[in-house]
Amino acid sequence: MFYRQSIVLFGFVVPFAICAAVVGGGMFLKSKTSATYLEKQALFKNAENDRVGALGIEAQISKKRPHMERWIAQVEKETANSITSHLKQIADSLPSKEFQQTAVEYPTSRTGFASVSAQDSSQVRLAFRGTFRSVQLALAELESRMPQLQLQELKIDPSGSSTSSLNFQITYTAWEK
Amino acid sequence: MVAYQHPAGLNPLQRFRQAGAVLRSTSRADNAAWYRSALELDFQLHLRADGNRVDSRLFDRRSGQWTPGPQLSEAHASDLTLIPAFAAEVIRVAQAAKADSIGIVLHLADELATSELKPELDNPGALNELRVMIESDPKSILDDSSVSASESSWRLIPYPAAGSEAIATTVCLSRSWAAFLDELRKTGEEKNFPVVTRAVSAPLVCLLALPELKRDELVRPLIAVLPYPRFTLLAFFNEHGDLRLLRTLQHRGQRRPTNLRHAASTTAAALELADPEVYLLSTGDITDPQMAADLQLVFPAASIREIDWAGTTYAAVATGMAPEPQIAIGLATAPETPLASSHTFGVLRSDGWAVQDFLPVAQEVAELYPARSEMKLLRAARFARLGFAALAVLALAFSSLQILDLVRKPEFTFNSDGAQSQKQRLTFLASERTRVDHWDNLLEDRSKAWVTMELLSTLFPEKSGFLVKTFNHSIRPEALPGQAKAGFVREWKITGLARDEALEQLNILNTRDGISAVFNDVATSTGNASFKTDLPSRSLVVNVRTLENNGYRPGPVEEAASLDDSTYPFSFDLTITQRFESSDQLAVILAKAP
Repeated sequence: MFYRQSIVLFGFVVPFAICAAVVGGGMFLKSKTSATYLEKQALFKNAENDRVGALGIEAQISKKRPHMERWIAQVEKETANSITSHLKQIADSLPSKEFQQTAVEYPTSRTGFASVSAQDSSQVRLAFRGTFRSVQLALAELESRMPQLQLQELKIDPSGSSTSSLNFQITYTAWEK
Repeated sequence: MVAYQHPAGLNPLQRFRQAGAVLRSTSRADNAAWYRSALELDFQLHLRADGNRVDSRLFDRRSGQWTPGPQLSEAHASDLTLIPAFAAEVIRVAQAAKADSIGIVLHLADELATSELKPELDNPGALNELRVMIESDPKSILDDSSVSASESSWRLIPYPAAGSEAIATTVCLSRSWAAFLDELRKTGEEKNFPVVTRAVSAPLVCLLALPELKRDELVRPLIAVLPYPRFTLLAFFNEHGDLRLLRTLQHRGQRRPTNLRHAASTTAAALELADPEVYLLSTGDITDPQMAADLQLVFPAASIREIDWAGTTYAAVATGMAPEPQIAIGLATAPETPLASSHTFGVLRSDGWAVQDFLPVAQEVAELYPARSEMKLLRAARFARLGFAALAVLALAFSSLQILDLVRKPEFTFNSDGAQSQKQRLTFLASERTRVDHWDNLLEDRSKAWVTMELLSTLFPEKSGFLVKTFNHSIRPEALPGQAKAGFVREWKITGLARDEALEQLNILNTRDGISAVFNDVATSTGNASFKTDLPSRSLVVNVRTLENNGYRPGPVEEAASLDDSTYPFSFDLTITQRFESSDQLAVILAKAP
C-alpha cells in the first residue's frame, strides 16, 4: 500500500482544496459584487426616489412658477409707490363722483397679520368716498393687482353730504420681500 | 512498456503520477482479473510438469470444457528464449476464446521435499504468522539452516491432528520454473492482458482427491501413497482423517523408492496407526506396477486400494492428463463424505494450504503496481477530480452569471455623480417649493375687501326692508406658541334698521344654517374659499339683536322713504364671527420667506 496516501492526497485532498479555492473565490467575487451592487442599488433607489420626488415637485410648482415670478416682482416693489400708482390708474377708469380717495396713511406699527408673522410687511390705511359698487370695483381691481394686500380692517359709514356716497376706511397689511 | 519504479523510492507526487500512469496505460482499474487468483479466473491453462514431460490443458469455466493447450517442454523452464512465443500463443488463445484474462496454474510434480520446523515453534496459534514468515524469511523458522531461499521455495503444511509432535511441516520446491512464470506475467503486462500464475505442488493438490475417493465411514487410519516419476509422497492420516505426517521418498533413478515398504510400515508403526487403509493414487502412466505388490508385503492386501481414476469424478481428464488440474478447479465444492468433513481436509481446502503458490510474483515487483483497493481509490479519485472540476466550473459559471446579472442591471452602472445631481435637483426643487408654498400661503385670498363688501350686499339686498347704518370688519390673528401657522378670527359688526318684512330674514341670519348659506353663496359667487364654512378647521358664529326703533313714526308703507330712519320700526345689530384654526389651509405661515 505505497500509493494510498499519495492517491488520497493528490486525488482527493488537493483537487478538493483547489475546487474549494475556486468555489470560494467565486463566492468571494460574487459577495464583493453583491456588496457593490447593494451599495449602488441603494444609491440608485435614493436617486430614483429623488428623481420621482423631483418630478412630483416639479409638477406641483411648474404651474405656479410663472405666478411666482410675478409675485416676487410684485412684493419687491415699494408698497406705497405701487398703491399710489395702481389707485391712480383705477381712479382714472372710474367716474370721479363715484370714487374719490380721501386719505392715505402708512402706519409704522405692526398690527394684524404683521404682528405675528416674521415676514416683512408694511401697513396701509386708505380712505375713500364713493358709491358702494364703484368702491367695491376699485378695491377688487386693486387687490387683484396687488395680491400681497391682506385686509385688516374695513369700516363703512354713510356720507353726510350725499345719500348715495359712503365713507370707506380700509387698513391693509402688505407683504414685502 | 513503461518502466515503473518501486514506489518506495518516489516522493508522494511521483507515486501519484506513477499510479496515474498505471491507471491510464493498463486495464488494472477495469479488469479485476489482475488481482484475482489464477484458479478463480474463467479461462485457465493448467500445466503439469513431472520431470519427464509437460502436459498442457486449457479449461474454460464458462463452458466447463477442457481442451489441449499450447505445447511446451521441460526446456521452457531453463531456456528463456522459448517463452515469449509460448506466452504470445497463450494470450492469443485466451483472446480468441474471448477471455479477459488467463490463469496459468503450474502443477509441479517433478520434485517435493519436506523439512521440519524448528522444534521450539510448536504453537498452533502461530500458524498464520509462520505461513507468512516462511515465504519472506524461511531460514528463521526452518530447522535446517543451510537452506537457500533464492533457489528453493517453502510452504507450510499444518498437522491438525491432535497429539501430533509437530504443528506443521514444510514442503520445498525448487525455483526452476520461476523465470518461466515471470516471463509469462511480463508478457501479459506488456500486452496489457492479465496473465495470472500459480505454481502448486501436484501431490498436495492430489491429496485433496482423497475425500472423494474414500466415500465410506472413517474407522481406520489412512495412508495415501502418491507415486510420481521422481519421488513418492506418503501421507499418514489418523482414524479421524487428520494428517499426521508427510513423508517423501526419492526414487533416485528407480521407478519406485526402494524403501517404500519399510518406510511405510515403520512410519505407520511409529505413528501408532494400527491396521491402516492404504490408498495408492497413481497419477502418471509410468507408475511401477509392483508398487502395490510391494506394499502388500507389509499391509494386508485387503487394506490396499489402487485408485482407478476412470471410475471417479476426475475420469474426464484422467484419460489424457493427470487428475491434479481437475482437482484444482473443483476446490470450491467439497464432496459430502466423512473424510471431507475432517479438520485436515477442511483447512487444506478452505484455507488454501493445498494450493499454495510456490512461485508467486516477487514482492518488489508486485509493489510496483497499486493494489486493487488503491486502483479503485485511484479511479474514484479520477471521478472525484471530475466532480470537483465540474463543481468548480458550475460554481464559477453560477457566480459569473450572478455577477453578470448584477453588472447588467442599471443600478450597477449608476454612479454617484448622477445620484448627487438628482439629490441637488430635489433639494433645489424642495427649496423652491417651500418658497412657492410660502408665498402661495401669504398671498392666499384670506381677507379681501371687495369680497367682504359682497358679503354685505348678500346679507342685505336692496329693497329687502333693511337700512344698514354702520359696517365694521376686522381681522385678528391668533398665534399659539410652537405652531408654524397662525389661525385668525374675522369679525363683522353691522348695525342698522329693519322693517317688518325684514325680521324673518334676520331670524334666518341668526341661525347657523342661515348664515352659513349666505357665506357659501358669497364663496360661490366670488370664488373666494375663505367664505366656505363646511371645513372642520373653521367655525362660524352669529348673533342678531333686534330692538324697537324709538324714532319710528308709523305711516303708510307706500309713502315710506328707504333712507328715512323713522319709517323703520326696528333696529338691529348683527355680529358675525368666523374663526380659522391654525390647521386651516388659510392659516398664516409665521416664518419669513426662505
